[in-house]
Amino acid sequence: MSIPILKLYNYLLISIQTEIDDKTAIQFQEDLLDKIHKTGATGVVIDLTSVDIIDSFIAKVLGDVITMSDLMGAKVVLTGIQPAVAMTLIDLGIHLQNVATALDLEQGLIKLYQELRV
Amino acid sequence: MTPQSCVKIREEWDIVSARQLGREMAKKLRFSTVDQARITTAVSELARNIYLYAEEGQICFEVLETADHKGLSVSATDTGPGITDISQVMQDGFTTSGGLGAGLPGVKRLMDEFDIQSEVGQGTQINTVKWIR
Amino acid sequence: MNTNLRNIAIENSDTIVQMWLEKIDSLKGEEFRFSTSDELFENTNREFVNVIFTSIKQQGSLIEVITFSEKLITLGWPLSYITDGLQLFRRVTIDYILSNSDQVDTNFFSAVLTSVDKWVEPIIHQLINEYTGSWEHILSIQRIALQELSAPLIPVTDGITIMPLIGTIDTERAKQIMENLLDGVIKHNSEVVLIDITGVPVVDTMVAHHIIQAAEAVRLIGSNCILVGIRPEIAQTIVNLGIDLTNLPTKSSLKKGFITALEMTNRKVINLKPMEDGIEEMINSIQGE
Repeated sequence: MSIPILKLYNYLLISIQTEIDDKTAIQFQEDLLDKIHKTGATGVVIDLTSVDIIDSFIAKVLGDVITMSDLMGAKVVLTGIQPAVAMTLIDLGIHLQNVATALDLEQGLIKLYQELRV
Repeated sequence: MTPQSCVKIREEWDIVSARQLGREMAKKLRFSTVDQARITTAVSELARNIYLYAEEGQICFEVLETADHKGLSVSATDTGPGITDISQVMQDGFTTSGGLGAGLPGVKRLMDEFDIQSEVGQGTQINTVKWIR
Repeated sequence: MNTNLRNIAIENSDTIVQMWLEKIDSLKGEEFRFSTSDELFENTNREFVNVIFTSIKQQGSLIEVITFSEKLITLGWPLSYITDGLQLFRRVTIDYILSNSDQVDTNFFSAVLTSVDKWVEPIIHQLINEYTGSWEHILSIQRIALQELSAPLIPVTDGITIMPLIGTIDTERAKQIMENLLDGVIKHNSEVVLIDITGVPVVDTMVAHHIIQAAEAVRLIGSNCILVGIRPEIAQTIVNLGIDLTNLPTKSSLKKGFITALEMTNRKVINLKPMEDGIEEMINSIQGE
């Protein structure tokens, strides 16, 4: 099972719709970096609206892929994190300190546009 | 709903089945959405620990009912190598697997009750409870 | 033997009641005397002792006891009146039976104690249960009332929401506030949330910890938090306790916070008619005279 990555101009859009197991998460990490390399995308939005659980492993993979994308010159914004998921992350002590977030896909794109322009 | 049900953890995909069962039980017991997420996440952490460190074990769920409380007990049992220093694994940020080190102290914060017993060479038993608010 | 004793008590109920009534008067405490008329006190005493005797006659039936306790609870009489009154009844009855019997040995003595206890204990239990039941009921109602006024979320303009916190924050409440806050942010699509702690009397390490966690969670779902309403004494305790709020933007007042929130959403407040124009007009009109 792989997570589809869509290209829109300079941006990559990902909406995670399935229950993520460890393999899918790792696979996604590879796919995304590959796609950034191929397309030269400068911004990535990962939408987590339909994700109802993020445990420490998935949080780690997400945090890693954001740092890696950054190294490759693509800025990542996480959008649509559910309140329940945010609260469990806080309980777990995971703050994703340097990660950009936005309420939804639209605001995520606006944020990317603003940050990449300056 | 059976009072007790268990999921064996042998491979990676079992982590997903364990947390699906955890979510289902939490939903049936009418935990709030946030507590459902807390329980599911705790199950995921416990199951992953078994998969990573003990290779084989099981996660068991049990519905608890006292006079004025209802809750869900989640316990993780394995026959793995055991934990040498429990206070060390309960520290935030301690990890041997390259993870975030949020696992066990995180589970403790997610649940209401947390109890861990481990013997080197024998295995580890972790009991946790979440009460319905 | 037991039935025998019961009969003695019932036959001489008038005397026992009289003795009890004489003594109960001394139990009427000071604070009690103000709120209760002597007439009501006497009537209730009479009813009380009748309830006890009815229960004894009907071999421990508690129906009357329940009605009576409900009445006392509505009147707001203290539980101590009931327990003291029943202890007194126990003493008076035992005294009476003993002093009116010729044969007083240890066996008889303990038989009297046991049977009188048997009459009184169930009544005490029932009354205490009724009272605690009513207390628990009040407690749960108040808890719900507290939850309802817990933490309202006010959307003031597009993208800006204010959450005023009032009263002491404990862990349970903090969790609920966080849930309200996050759900509200999603519902109102808020880019900025102002948490106003003007109404929070004490900010200790725990309260600060909860607020920081709430702010972190708000950031995770893609919004921003500003903590406003920090009074001088709160600022002092925060620093003295070594609480680190550097990751959380703070402002002293809601007004300043609101202006920052407007800036963050690329807006500002402008006066429709600039002040200078007004003054100029005024000067011109004076010159015209």
